[in-house]
Amino acid sequence: MLFAGIDIGSTMTKVVMVTEREEVITSLIGPTGAEHRHLALTVMDEALHKTSLSFDALDFIVATGYGRINVPFADKQITEITCHARGIRSIFPGARLIIDIGGQDSKGIKLDGAGKVANFTMNDKCAAGTGRFLEVIAETLGVELTEMGPISLSAAGYVKISNMCTVFAEHEVTSRLAEGAGVPEIVAGLHEAIAERVINMVRHLRIEKEVVFTGGGAKNIGLVKAVEGRVGFPVLVPPEPLITGALGAALLGKDFVDRGVTRDHERRLEGVTFFS
Amino acid sequence: MMTASEQVEKLYVERGKRARELRKKGKKIIGYFCCFVPDEIITAFDMVPYRIQGSQSEPIDQADAYIEPMACPFARSSFNLALKGRYDFLDGFVAPHSCDTIERMYHIWLHNKPSSFNHLINVPHMLGSGSTSFYRSELAYFIKSLEDWSGRKLDPDRLKDAVRLYNRRRALLRELYELRKTDPPQVSGTEITRVLVAGMGIPAEEHIALLERYMKEIKVRPVPKADKLPRIFIWGNEIDDIAFINLVEESGAQVVMDDLCTGTRFFWDDVPETKDPLDGIAARYLNIHCPRSNVPQMETREKDLGNRYGYIGQFVKDWGADGAIFYIVRYCDTCELEGPDLREYLNSMNIPVLMVEDDYSTSTIGQLRTRVQAFLEMLG
Repeated sequence: MLFAGIDIGSTMTKVVMVTEREEVITSLIGPTGAEHRHLALTVMDEALHKTSLSFDALDFIVATGYGRINVPFADKQITEITCHARGIRSIFPGARLIIDIGGQDSKGIKLDGAGKVANFTMNDKCAAGTGRFLEVIAETLGVELTEMGPISLSAAGYVKISNMCTVFAEHEVTSRLAEGAGVPEIVAGLHEAIAERVINMVRHLRIEKEVVFTGGGAKNIGLVKAVEGRVGFPVLVPPEPLITGALGAALLGKDFVDRGVTRDHERRLEGVTFFS
Repeated sequence: MMTASEQVEKLYVERGKRARELRKKGKKIIGYFCCFVPDEIITAFDMVPYRIQGSQSEPIDQADAYIEPMACPFARSSFNLALKGRYDFLDGFVAPHSCDTIERMYHIWLHNKPSSFNHLINVPHMLGSGSTSFYRSELAYFIKSLEDWSGRKLDPDRLKDAVRLYNRRRALLRELYELRKTDPPQVSGTEITRVLVAGMGIPAEEHIALLERYMKEIKVRPVPKADKLPRIFIWGNEIDDIAFINLVEESGAQVVMDDLCTGTRFFWDDVPETKDPLDGIAARYLNIHCPRSNVPQMETREKDLGNRYGYIGQFVKDWGADGAIFYIVRYCDTCELEGPDLREYLNSMNIPVLMVEDDYSTSTIGQLRTRVQAFLEMLG
């Protein structure tokens, strides 16, 4: 049997397919555009071509992420909170707290001993301290987003950044540069500021082992180090932090089938021409 | 003839319309904020009490010229409607000192949009016998000022009649809430919100007649099969729009019970029929469970929480709630500071809590969808 999870995040769209033995057979990551419906189809089609599978071979499809309602062929929609929890549990069974920094939001998810969601918290409405924040500042600094992590590792200390609002922080960074601060120290300061914000947000969930850091933010080694510095012990990072939501979605599809849960509705396939 | 549900919907949408009609017929309309202004007193003067609401679907486009935007958006929105002339039908404007915002709002409103009659009722924060007698004097002063303005003396028998009338309405509303105990509830949280808001701007007799017809309609509706959806208790302040409750129910839950100032808080407890009606009125209204009021501290944390929230514990048990959502209108300090203690109390009963803060605007409610859905998945 085969199960697919599709996670339409604010910045990236991810697809994961798993077997009934919970083995990942394929995963795919593409940018999220303005047209979710079309995008969902394109990414799914690509995943099917890659695996030479037909659409009907998928026993259950779960959509998640903020674009989850725009996946007409999904059998169920589940929030990314529940999906991340399920995905992380399959990789790190000992996880008790998940920190997720995505493109436009950040979350903390507390798991109970059985790996179920016990509590969660999310940032409010604004993208301060998320991937998009780093992206904007990277542009100001003339640094590639992917280089931010490695650059910060060469910093001697860090420059304190006090504004978390993207617009104000951009201005603050420009001022620090004008004062002669080094780029690595500024980047390290940004990571510290984001880490401080996210740790303050998750503090009421109680920080205890194991802490897992996932989402696009976890691909930044500088941010991982900054989060670890505040947590006080090493955090676990999945091999591919971008796909844990889609992985969880696929696994929840399997759980549904195992429990005999049926699809919410017939799969709507209008406009779908490329599935064979 | 319209069905009761249709009439409820009409009153819910066309707010103030019935009050305007009554005013044309010579009735005086007295607008007021919050749950601390006794409807009975206004009614005993043969005037119509009108609970002032804001509008969650209209942007606050004029009030910001008078009040800073970091003030309570409910108060700002209500004042915004007043500035646009939507409360020009009010002959009187009464505000209690329920919180600092409402008290200050009184002065700003008075200065910019005075009514013919204006009055502020002082309400003590710490409950106890001294406070009750103070509040009773404040109500006597409120009566005196209505007498001076109207040129009529208050008849104590009319006040007793008004107490019985509102107790009748309270009994009916409690009966309506009983219908929420089944799985699924016979009446949804969205429907309840409409019925409560519909009654806030019409005379009690009319709301009573409407409730009687409405309940008859509900009781003959076919009973659906048990759906086992999570049952939600909701706590907070002003929910005078269906948008949020509807979002929770659409996401796959039943909103079964509340402690809101637009819900049980304003109607749950009867006014005791005392020899001097003002004694019963003062005791009942002062003891409203608004988080702006305090009770003397008990010796242990557990006893203290039980003393403050025992009634909520009973609501949760009796209505079989699985989880609680705190829906807080942004910048409501009293709710935001009360929330953590209440959360601790509910968590000790194994009731998970989701605390959300919102802008008192239907346009931002969608942003709460993921939080609400994730919470329901957690309960499910």
